[in-house]
Amino acid sequence: MQNWYPGDENGVGGIYNFVTKRGACRGARSKISWTQVETGSAITWKYPSCVLRGDDSVGEFYSVALTNHRQQADTGTKMIHLGARTKSKIISKGISAGRGQNSYRGLVKVEKNADGARNFTQCDSLLIGDRCGVHTFPYIEVKHPGAIVEHEATTSKISDDQLFYCLSRGISAEDAVSMIVNGFCKQVFKELPMEFAVEAKKLLEVSLEGAVG
Amino acid sequence: MLEITNLHARVAGKAILKGLNLSVKAGEVHAIMGPNGAGKSTLGNVLAGREGYEVTDGTVTYMGEDLLALPAEERAAKGVFLAFQYPVEIPGVNNTYFLKAALNAQRKYRGEPELDSMQFLKLTREKLKVLSISDELMHRAVNEGFSGGEKKRNEIFQMAMLEPRLGILDETDSGLDIDALKTVAEGVNRLRSPERGFIVITHYQRLLDYIVPDFVHVLADGRIVESGDQSLALELEEHGYSWIKERKLGAAA
Repeated sequence: MQNWYPGDENGVGGIYNFVTKRGACRGARSKISWTQVETGSAITWKYPSCVLRGDDSVGEFYSVALTNHRQQADTGTKMIHLGARTKSKIISKGISAGRGQNSYRGLVKVEKNADGARNFTQCDSLLIGDRCGVHTFPYIEVKHPGAIVEHEATTSKISDDQLFYCLSRGISAEDAVSMIVNGFCKQVFKELPMEFAVEAKKLLEVSLEGAVG
Repeated sequence: MLEITNLHARVAGKAILKGLNLSVKAGEVHAIMGPNGAGKSTLGNVLAGREGYEVTDGTVTYMGEDLLALPAEERAAKGVFLAFQYPVEIPGVNNTYFLKAALNAQRKYRGEPELDSMQFLKLTREKLKVLSISDELMHRAVNEGFSGGEKKRNEIFQMAMLEPRLGILDETDSGLDIDALKTVAEGVNRLRSPERGFIVITHYQRLLDYIVPDFVHVLADGRIVESGDQSLALELEEHGYSWIKERKLGAAA
Protein backbone atom coordinates (compact mmCIF):
# COMPACT_ATOMS: atom_id res chain seq x y z
CA MET A 1 0.00 0.00 0.00
CA GLN A 2 1.43 3.31 -0.99
CA ASN A 3 0.25 6.76 0.03
CA TRP A 4 3.06 9.27 -0.48
CA TYR A 5 2.31 13.00 -0.41
CA PRO A 6 0.50 13.82 -3.67
CA GLY A 7 1.15 17.57 -3.49
CA ASP A 8 -1.51 20.26 -3.27
CA GLU A 9 -4.56 20.46 -5.52
CA ASN A 10 -2.31 21.33 -8.43
CA GLY A 11 0.15 18.56 -7.61
CA VAL A 12 2.80 21.09 -6.53
CA GLY A 13 5.33 19.65 -4.09
CA GLY A 14 4.16 16.07 -4.53
CA ILE A 15 6.46 13.06 -4.37
CA TYR A 16 7.43 11.16 -7.51
CA ASN A 17 7.31 7.44 -6.87
CA PHE A 18 9.20 5.32 -9.38
CA VAL A 19 9.47 1.70 -8.34
CA THR A 20 10.94 -1.46 -9.77
CA LYS A 21 9.96 -4.63 -8.03
CA ARG A 22 10.68 -8.07 -9.43
CA GLY A 23 10.11 -11.52 -8.11
CA ALA A 24 11.41 -14.78 -9.54
CA CYS A 25 9.53 -18.06 -9.22
CA ARG A 26 12.55 -20.34 -9.59
CA GLY A 27 11.31 -23.61 -8.16
CA ALA A 28 8.63 -25.86 -9.56
CA ARG A 29 5.11 -24.99 -8.34
CA SER A 30 6.29 -21.78 -6.68
CA LYS A 31 4.01 -18.75 -6.46
CA ILE A 32 4.25 -14.99 -6.14
CA SER A 33 1.25 -12.77 -5.53
CA TRP A 34 1.49 -8.97 -5.61
CA THR A 35 -1.32 -6.88 -4.20
CA GLN A 36 -1.05 -3.11 -4.35
CA VAL A 37 -3.20 -0.14 -3.43
CA GLU A 38 -1.87 3.09 -4.92
CA THR A 39 -3.42 6.33 -3.74
CA GLY A 40 -0.54 8.73 -3.19
CA SER A 41 2.28 10.53 -5.06
CA ALA A 42 2.01 13.22 -7.69
CA ILE A 43 3.40 10.76 -10.22
CA THR A 44 3.57 6.99 -9.81
CA TRP A 45 5.41 4.58 -12.09
CA LYS A 46 5.29 1.13 -10.61
CA TYR A 47 5.46 -2.31 -12.19
CA PRO A 48 5.86 -5.20 -9.75
CA SER A 49 6.76 -8.19 -11.90
CA CYS A 50 7.04 -11.97 -11.84
CA VAL A 51 9.57 -14.12 -13.68
CA LEU A 52 7.93 -17.53 -13.87
CA ARG A 53 10.93 -19.82 -14.38
CA GLY A 54 9.92 -22.92 -12.43
CA ASP A 55 7.52 -25.35 -14.10
CA ASP A 56 3.92 -24.94 -12.92
CA SER A 57 4.77 -21.71 -11.12
CA VAL A 58 2.08 -19.06 -10.63
CA GLY A 59 2.18 -15.27 -10.66
CA GLU A 60 -0.62 -12.97 -9.55
CA PHE A 61 -1.06 -9.22 -9.58
CA TYR A 62 -3.96 -7.44 -7.92
CA SER A 63 -4.03 -3.68 -8.11
CA VAL A 64 -6.16 -0.70 -7.18
CA ALA A 65 -4.84 2.68 -8.28
CA LEU A 66 -6.66 5.91 -7.63
CA THR A 67 -5.79 9.36 -8.95
CA ASN A 68 -7.48 12.60 -7.91
CA HIS A 69 -6.74 16.29 -8.55
CA ARG A 70 -3.69 16.31 -10.89
CA GLN A 71 -2.18 13.01 -9.89
CA GLN A 72 -0.79 10.67 -12.54
CA ALA A 73 -0.36 6.96 -12.11
CA ASP A 74 1.14 4.61 -14.66
CA THR A 75 1.21 1.19 -13.14
CA GLY A 76 0.91 -2.48 -13.97
CA THR A 77 2.99 -5.61 -14.02
CA LYS A 78 5.18 -7.88 -16.11
CA MET A 79 4.52 -11.58 -16.24
CA ILE A 80 7.40 -13.43 -17.91
CA HIS A 81 6.48 -17.04 -18.65
CA LEU A 82 9.60 -19.23 -19.02
CA GLY A 83 8.64 -22.56 -17.46
CA ALA A 84 6.10 -25.11 -18.62
CA ARG A 85 2.45 -24.75 -17.55
CA THR A 86 3.13 -21.43 -15.87
CA LYS A 87 0.05 -19.42 -15.02
CA SER A 88 -0.52 -15.74 -14.36
CA LYS A 89 -3.50 -13.65 -13.37
CA ILE A 90 -3.74 -9.87 -13.45
CA ILE A 91 -6.65 -7.94 -11.93
CA SER A 92 -6.26 -4.18 -12.19
CA LYS A 93 -8.74 -1.52 -11.07
CA GLY A 94 -8.02 2.06 -12.03
CA ILE A 95 -10.06 4.98 -10.69
CA SER A 96 -9.67 8.53 -11.82
CA ALA A 97 -11.28 11.68 -10.41
CA GLY A 98 -10.66 15.43 -10.71
CA ARG A 99 -8.02 15.92 -13.41
CA GLY A 100 -6.27 12.68 -12.61
CA GLN A 101 -4.75 10.41 -15.23
CA ASN A 102 -4.53 6.71 -14.63
CA SER A 103 -2.88 4.13 -16.87
CA TYR A 104 -2.55 0.40 -16.70
CA ARG A 105 0.61 -0.69 -18.47
CA GLY A 106 1.46 -4.34 -18.40
CA LEU A 107 3.50 -6.93 -20.25
CA VAL A 108 2.62 -10.57 -20.65
CA LYS A 109 5.51 -12.42 -22.28
CA VAL A 110 5.47 -16.10 -23.14
CA GLU A 111 8.89 -17.55 -24.14
CA LYS A 112 9.31 -20.40 -26.59
CA ASN A 113 9.81 -23.13 -23.98
CA ALA A 114 6.76 -22.25 -21.90
CA ASP A 115 4.52 -25.14 -22.95
CA GLY A 116 0.92 -24.69 -21.85
CA ALA A 117 1.41 -21.19 -20.45
CA ARG A 118 -1.75 -19.41 -19.47
CA ASN A 119 -2.59 -15.80 -18.64
CA PHE A 120 -5.77 -14.01 -17.71
CA THR A 121 -5.87 -10.22 -17.48
CA GLN A 122 -8.75 -8.03 -16.43
CA CYS A 123 -8.49 -4.24 -16.40
CA ASP A 124 -11.44 -2.22 -15.19
CA SER A 125 -11.47 1.55 -15.14
CA LEU A 126 -13.83 3.94 -13.42
CA LEU A 127 -14.18 7.63 -14.22
CA ILE A 128 -15.53 10.20 -11.76
CA GLY A 129 -16.34 13.54 -13.34
CA ASP A 130 -15.55 14.69 -16.87
CA ARG A 131 -11.98 16.01 -16.68
CA CYS A 132 -10.09 12.84 -15.80
CA GLY A 133 -8.73 10.02 -17.92
CA VAL A 134 -8.09 6.31 -17.73
CA HIS A 135 -5.97 4.31 -20.17
CA THR A 136 -5.04 0.69 -20.72
CA PHE A 137 -1.83 -0.39 -22.44
CA PRO A 138 -1.54 -4.15 -22.54
CA TYR A 139 1.66 -5.46 -24.15
CA ILE A 140 1.50 -9.11 -25.17
CA GLU A 141 4.51 -10.98 -26.58
CA VAL A 142 3.97 -14.63 -27.30
CA LYS A 143 6.63 -16.95 -28.74
CA HIS A 144 4.88 -20.24 -28.06
CA PRO A 145 2.03 -21.33 -30.33
CA GLY A 146 0.20 -23.14 -27.51
CA ALA A 147 -0.07 -20.20 -25.10
CA ILE A 148 -3.46 -18.96 -24.00
CA VAL A 149 -3.52 -15.27 -23.20
CA GLU A 150 -6.73 -13.42 -22.34
CA HIS A 151 -7.25 -9.72 -21.88
CA GLU A 152 -10.51 -8.11 -20.78
CA ALA A 153 -10.97 -4.42 -20.26
CA THR A 154 -13.92 -2.26 -19.25
CA THR A 155 -14.32 1.46 -18.69
CA SER A 156 -17.29 2.87 -16.82
CA LYS A 157 -18.38 6.10 -15.23
CA ILE A 158 -20.28 6.63 -11.99
CA SER A 159 -23.63 7.45 -13.49
CA ASP A 160 -26.08 10.15 -12.39
CA ASP A 161 -28.61 7.36 -12.00
CA GLN A 162 -26.46 5.52 -9.47
CA LEU A 163 -25.76 8.71 -7.59
CA PHE A 164 -29.41 9.75 -7.46
CA TYR A 165 -30.43 6.27 -6.36
CA CYS A 166 -28.14 6.59 -3.33
CA LEU A 167 -29.23 10.18 -2.60
CA SER A 168 -32.90 9.21 -2.75
CA ARG A 169 -32.20 6.64 -0.03
CA GLY A 170 -30.67 9.30 2.22
CA ILE A 171 -26.99 8.61 1.49
CA SER A 172 -24.86 11.73 0.92
CA ALA A 173 -23.10 12.21 -2.41
CA GLU A 174 -19.66 11.75 -0.87
CA ASP A 175 -20.63 8.51 0.88
CA ALA A 176 -22.34 7.32 -2.29
CA VAL A 177 -19.19 7.79 -4.38
CA SER A 178 -16.98 6.00 -1.88
CA MET A 179 -19.51 3.18 -1.67
CA ILE A 180 -19.62 2.77 -5.44
CA VAL A 181 -15.81 2.94 -5.71
CA ASN A 182 -15.39 0.35 -2.96
CA GLY A 183 -17.82 -1.94 -4.72
CA PHE A 184 -15.79 -1.49 -7.88
CA CYS A 185 -12.58 -2.52 -6.04
CA LYS A 186 -14.08 -5.44 -4.17
CA GLN A 187 -12.38 -8.08 -6.29
CA VAL A 188 -8.98 -6.76 -5.22
CA PHE A 189 -9.82 -5.84 -1.62
CA LYS A 190 -10.97 -9.33 -0.88
CA GLU A 191 -7.38 -10.47 -1.53
CA LEU A 192 -6.11 -8.25 1.29
CA PRO A 193 -5.92 -9.32 4.93
CA MET A 194 -8.93 -7.92 6.80
CA GLU A 195 -7.09 -5.16 8.70
CA PHE A 196 -5.48 -4.02 5.46
CA ALA A 197 -8.78 -4.04 3.60
CA VAL A 198 -10.30 -1.76 6.23
CA GLU A 199 -7.32 0.62 5.89
CA ALA A 200 -7.52 0.54 2.12
CA LYS A 201 -11.19 1.43 2.20
CA LYS A 202 -10.55 4.39 4.52
CA LEU A 203 -7.63 5.50 2.38
CA LEU A 204 -9.85 5.59 -0.71
CA GLU A 205 -12.43 7.66 1.15
CA VAL A 206 -9.82 10.22 2.18
CA SER A 207 -8.27 10.31 -1.29
CA LEU A 208 -11.66 10.88 -2.89
CA GLU A 209 -12.58 13.82 -0.69
CA GLY A 210 -13.96 16.65 -2.78
CA ALA A 211 -14.24 14.48 -5.89
CA VAL A 212 -17.94 15.33 -6.20
CA GLY A 213 -20.22 18.21 -5.34
CA MET B 1 -48.98 15.96 4.51
CA LEU B 2 -48.27 16.87 0.90
CA GLU B 3 -49.67 19.90 -0.88
CA ILE B 4 -48.71 20.49 -4.50
CA THR B 5 -49.90 23.79 -5.90
CA ASN B 6 -49.68 24.91 -9.51
CA LEU B 7 -46.49 22.93 -10.12
CA HIS B 8 -44.64 23.68 -13.33
CA ALA B 9 -41.47 21.77 -14.17
CA ARG B 10 -39.08 21.49 -17.11
CA VAL B 11 -36.73 18.76 -18.18
CA ALA B 12 -33.94 19.67 -20.58
CA GLY B 13 -35.72 22.92 -21.40
CA LYS B 14 -39.01 21.20 -22.21
CA ALA B 15 -42.07 22.02 -20.12
CA ILE B 16 -43.54 18.77 -18.76
CA LEU B 17 -45.63 19.71 -15.74
CA LYS B 18 -47.97 22.60 -16.42
CA GLY B 19 -49.86 23.60 -13.31
CA LEU B 20 -50.30 20.39 -11.35
CA ASN B 21 -52.34 20.45 -8.14
CA LEU B 22 -52.51 17.56 -5.71
CA SER B 23 -53.17 17.19 -2.03
CA VAL B 24 -52.29 14.02 -0.13
CA LYS B 25 -53.27 13.50 3.50
CA ALA B 26 -51.69 10.97 5.83
CA GLY B 27 -53.28 7.55 5.47
CA GLU B 28 -54.44 8.14 1.89
CA VAL B 29 -53.47 6.30 -1.24
CA HIS B 30 -53.59 8.34 -4.43
CA ALA B 31 -53.27 6.68 -7.80
CA ILE B 32 -51.97 8.74 -10.70
CA MET B 33 -52.78 7.39 -14.12
CA GLY B 34 -52.19 8.80 -17.52
CA PRO B 35 -50.86 8.19 -21.01
CA ASN B 36 -47.16 8.03 -21.91
CA GLY B 37 -45.44 11.39 -21.74
CA ALA B 38 -48.09 12.97 -19.52
CA GLY B 39 -45.49 13.76 -16.84
CA LYS B 40 -46.11 10.91 -14.37
CA SER B 41 -42.48 9.96 -13.84
CA THR B 42 -41.44 13.61 -13.89
CA LEU B 43 -43.73 14.19 -10.92
CA GLY B 44 -42.02 11.38 -8.97
CA ASN B 45 -38.56 12.66 -9.84
CA VAL B 46 -39.42 16.28 -8.95
CA LEU B 47 -40.76 15.19 -5.57
CA ALA B 48 -37.68 13.07 -4.85
CA GLY B 49 -35.35 15.90 -5.86
CA ARG B 50 -33.58 14.61 -8.91
CA GLU B 51 -31.11 16.96 -10.59
CA GLY B 52 -32.03 18.19 -14.02
CA TYR B 53 -35.70 18.65 -13.18
CA GLU B 54 -36.24 22.37 -13.03
CA VAL B 55 -39.26 23.72 -11.18
CA THR B 56 -40.31 26.94 -12.89
CA ASP B 57 -43.42 27.77 -10.89
CA GLY B 58 -45.62 26.54 -8.05
CA THR B 59 -44.99 25.16 -4.59
CA VAL B 60 -44.71 21.80 -2.87
CA THR B 61 -45.30 21.77 0.89
CA TYR B 62 -44.47 18.58 2.76
CA MET B 63 -45.22 18.30 6.49
CA GLY B 64 -45.46 22.10 6.57
CA GLU B 65 -42.06 22.57 4.95
CA ASP B 66 -40.96 23.76 1.52
CA LEU B 67 -39.97 20.42 -0.01
CA LEU B 68 -38.35 21.91 -3.09
CA ALA B 69 -35.77 23.76 -0.95
CA LEU B 70 -34.35 20.50 0.41
CA PRO B 71 -31.64 18.39 -1.27
CA ALA B 72 -32.60 14.84 -2.22
CA GLU B 73 -30.88 13.08 0.70
CA GLU B 74 -32.63 15.32 3.25
CA ARG B 75 -36.01 14.64 1.66
CA ALA B 76 -35.29 10.94 2.09
CA ALA B 77 -34.36 11.43 5.74
CA LYS B 78 -37.60 13.33 6.29
CA GLY B 79 -39.55 10.38 4.97
CA VAL B 80 -39.98 10.77 1.21
CA PHE B 81 -39.34 7.51 -0.61
CA LEU B 82 -39.35 6.95 -4.36
CA ALA B 83 -39.64 3.38 -5.60
CA PHE B 84 -37.92 3.52 -8.98
CA GLN B 85 -39.33 2.40 -12.26
CA TYR B 86 -35.87 1.22 -13.31
CA PRO B 87 -33.75 0.61 -10.19
CA VAL B 88 -30.05 0.89 -11.06
CA GLU B 89 -27.40 -1.73 -10.42
CA ILE B 90 -24.47 -0.90 -8.16
CA PRO B 91 -21.90 -3.65 -8.80
CA GLY B 92 -19.89 -4.94 -5.86
CA VAL B 93 -21.97 -3.11 -3.23
CA ASN B 94 -23.76 -5.59 -1.02
CA ASN B 95 -27.50 -5.06 -0.75
CA THR B 96 -27.50 -5.39 3.04
CA TYR B 97 -24.57 -3.00 3.36
CA PHE B 98 -26.28 -0.45 1.11
CA LEU B 99 -29.50 -0.57 3.07
CA LYS B 100 -27.77 -0.32 6.42
CA ALA B 101 -25.83 2.72 5.23
CA ALA B 102 -29.07 4.31 4.00
CA LEU B 103 -31.02 3.59 7.17
CA ASN B 104 -28.26 4.81 9.45
CA ALA B 105 -27.66 7.96 7.37
CA GLN B 106 -31.36 8.78 7.74
CA ARG B 107 -31.40 7.99 11.46
CA LYS B 108 -28.33 10.13 12.03
CA TYR B 109 -29.95 13.03 10.19
CA ARG B 110 -33.02 12.71 12.40
CA GLY B 111 -30.88 12.59 15.55
CA GLU B 112 -31.77 8.96 16.26
CA PRO B 113 -29.15 6.43 17.37
CA GLU B 114 -27.67 4.33 14.54
CA LEU B 115 -28.45 0.64 14.47
CA ASP B 116 -25.59 -1.79 15.02
CA SER B 117 -25.26 -4.91 12.90
CA MET B 118 -27.23 -7.15 15.25
CA GLN B 119 -30.16 -4.75 15.53
CA PHE B 120 -30.13 -4.22 11.79
CA LEU B 121 -30.10 -7.95 11.09
CA LYS B 122 -33.02 -8.48 13.44
CA LEU B 123 -35.01 -5.75 11.70
CA THR B 124 -34.12 -7.22 8.29
CA ARG B 125 -35.37 -10.65 9.32
CA GLU B 126 -38.65 -9.24 10.62
CA LYS B 127 -39.33 -7.27 7.47
CA LEU B 128 -38.35 -10.09 5.13
CA LYS B 129 -40.76 -12.36 6.95
CA VAL B 130 -43.64 -9.90 6.76
CA LEU B 131 -43.10 -9.36 3.02
CA SER B 132 -42.37 -13.05 2.38
CA ILE B 133 -39.21 -12.19 0.43
CA SER B 134 -36.31 -14.66 0.46
CA ASP B 135 -33.15 -13.44 2.18
CA GLU B 136 -31.13 -14.55 -0.83
CA LEU B 137 -31.51 -11.06 -2.31
CA MET B 138 -29.73 -9.61 0.69
CA HIS B 139 -26.48 -11.41 -0.07
CA ARG B 140 -26.19 -10.07 -3.59
CA ALA B 141 -24.94 -6.73 -4.90
CA VAL B 142 -27.54 -3.95 -5.17
CA ASN B 143 -29.85 -4.95 -8.03
CA GLU B 144 -26.97 -6.63 -9.87
CA GLY B 145 -28.28 -9.42 -12.05
CA PHE B 146 -31.74 -9.13 -10.46
CA SER B 147 -34.71 -9.99 -12.61
CA GLY B 148 -37.34 -7.29 -13.17
CA GLY B 149 -39.51 -8.77 -10.45
CA GLU B 150 -36.62 -9.04 -7.99
CA LYS B 151 -35.69 -5.40 -8.55
CA LYS B 152 -39.21 -4.23 -7.79
CA ARG B 153 -39.48 -6.49 -4.75
CA ASN B 154 -36.19 -5.06 -3.56
CA GLU B 155 -37.63 -1.55 -3.89
CA ILE B 156 -40.61 -2.51 -1.76
CA PHE B 157 -38.30 -4.17 0.75
CA GLN B 158 -36.20 -1.00 0.98
CA MET B 159 -39.39 0.95 1.56
CA ALA B 160 -40.40 -1.41 4.37
CA MET B 161 -36.99 -1.01 6.00
CA LEU B 162 -36.81 2.77 5.69
CA GLU B 163 -40.44 3.28 6.82
CA PRO B 164 -41.12 6.52 4.93
CA ARG B 165 -44.05 8.81 5.58
CA LEU B 166 -44.68 9.35 1.91
CA GLY B 167 -44.16 6.49 -0.51
CA ILE B 168 -44.07 7.27 -4.23
CA LEU B 169 -44.29 4.23 -6.48
CA ASP B 170 -43.21 5.01 -10.03
CA GLU B 171 -44.77 2.40 -12.30
CA THR B 172 -43.76 -0.32 -9.90
CA ASP B 173 -46.09 -2.68 -11.75
CA SER B 174 -44.42 -2.30 -15.14
CA GLY B 175 -42.81 -5.47 -16.41
CA LEU B 176 -44.17 -7.67 -13.63
CA ASP B 177 -45.91 -10.98 -14.03
CA ILE B 178 -49.06 -11.50 -12.03
CA ASP B 179 -47.35 -13.28 -9.10
CA ALA B 180 -44.70 -10.62 -8.69
CA LEU B 181 -47.41 -7.99 -8.99
CA LYS B 182 -49.31 -9.58 -6.13
CA THR B 183 -46.22 -9.77 -3.91
CA VAL B 184 -45.45 -6.13 -4.56
CA ALA B 185 -49.04 -5.06 -3.94
CA GLU B 186 -49.24 -7.09 -0.76
CA GLY B 187 -46.04 -5.45 0.42
CA VAL B 188 -47.53 -2.02 -0.15
CA ASN B 189 -50.80 -2.96 1.54
CA ARG B 190 -48.96 -4.10 4.65
CA LEU B 191 -47.23 -0.73 4.78
CA ARG B 192 -50.49 1.21 4.59
CA SER B 193 -51.10 3.01 7.85
CA PRO B 194 -52.91 6.10 9.13
CA GLU B 195 -49.57 7.94 9.36
CA ARG B 196 -48.39 7.11 5.85
CA GLY B 197 -49.42 8.48 2.48
CA PHE B 198 -48.87 6.90 -0.93
CA ILE B 199 -48.73 8.14 -4.48
CA VAL B 200 -49.04 5.21 -6.84
CA ILE B 201 -48.08 6.08 -10.41
CA THR B 202 -49.29 3.50 -12.89
CA HIS B 203 -50.24 2.91 -16.47
CA TYR B 204 -52.75 0.20 -15.90
CA GLN B 205 -55.79 -0.36 -13.77
CA ARG B 206 -54.54 -3.90 -12.98
CA LEU B 207 -52.34 -2.80 -10.05
CA LEU B 208 -55.29 -0.99 -8.49
CA ASP B 209 -57.18 -4.28 -8.20
CA TYR B 210 -54.63 -5.16 -5.57
CA ILE B 211 -53.72 -1.78 -4.12
CA VAL B 212 -57.14 -0.17 -3.72
CA PRO B 213 -56.66 3.61 -3.85
CA ASP B 214 -58.71 6.23 -2.03
CA PHE B 215 -58.44 8.58 -4.99
CA VAL B 216 -57.65 8.20 -8.66
CA HIS B 217 -56.30 11.10 -10.73
CA VAL B 218 -55.77 11.30 -14.42
CA LEU B 219 -52.66 13.16 -15.47
CA ALA B 220 -52.61 14.44 -19.03
CA ASP B 221 -50.44 17.09 -20.62
CA GLY B 222 -48.81 18.02 -17.30
CA ARG B 223 -52.01 18.59 -15.35
CA ILE B 224 -54.51 16.60 -13.39
CA VAL B 225 -57.56 16.67 -15.62
CA GLU B 226 -59.91 14.39 -13.74
CA SER B 227 -60.15 13.04 -10.20
CA GLY B 228 -62.39 10.42 -8.72
CA ASP B 229 -62.43 7.12 -6.89
CA GLN B 230 -61.59 3.68 -8.17
CA SER B 231 -64.51 3.66 -10.57
CA LEU B 232 -62.63 6.28 -12.61
CA ALA B 233 -59.79 3.81 -13.10
CA LEU B 234 -62.25 1.17 -14.29
CA GLU B 235 -63.87 3.57 -16.74
CA LEU B 236 -60.44 4.51 -18.04
CA GLU B 237 -59.59 0.87 -18.52
CA GLU B 238 -62.73 0.44 -20.56
CA HIS B 239 -62.63 3.58 -22.68
CA GLY B 240 -58.92 4.49 -22.84
CA TYR B 241 -57.29 7.84 -22.31
CA SER B 242 -58.78 9.37 -25.44
CA TRP B 243 -62.15 9.18 -23.70
CA ILE B 244 -60.95 11.70 -21.10
CA LYS B 245 -59.67 13.96 -23.84
CA GLU B 246 -62.99 13.87 -25.64
CA ARG B 247 -64.88 14.57 -22.45
CA LYS B 248 -62.66 17.54 -21.71
CA LEU B 249 -63.08 18.87 -25.24
CA GLY B 250 -66.82 18.33 -25.02
CA ALA B 251 -67.00 20.28 -21.78
CA ALA B 252 -65.01 23.12 -23.30
CA ALA B 253 -67.27 23.39 -26.36
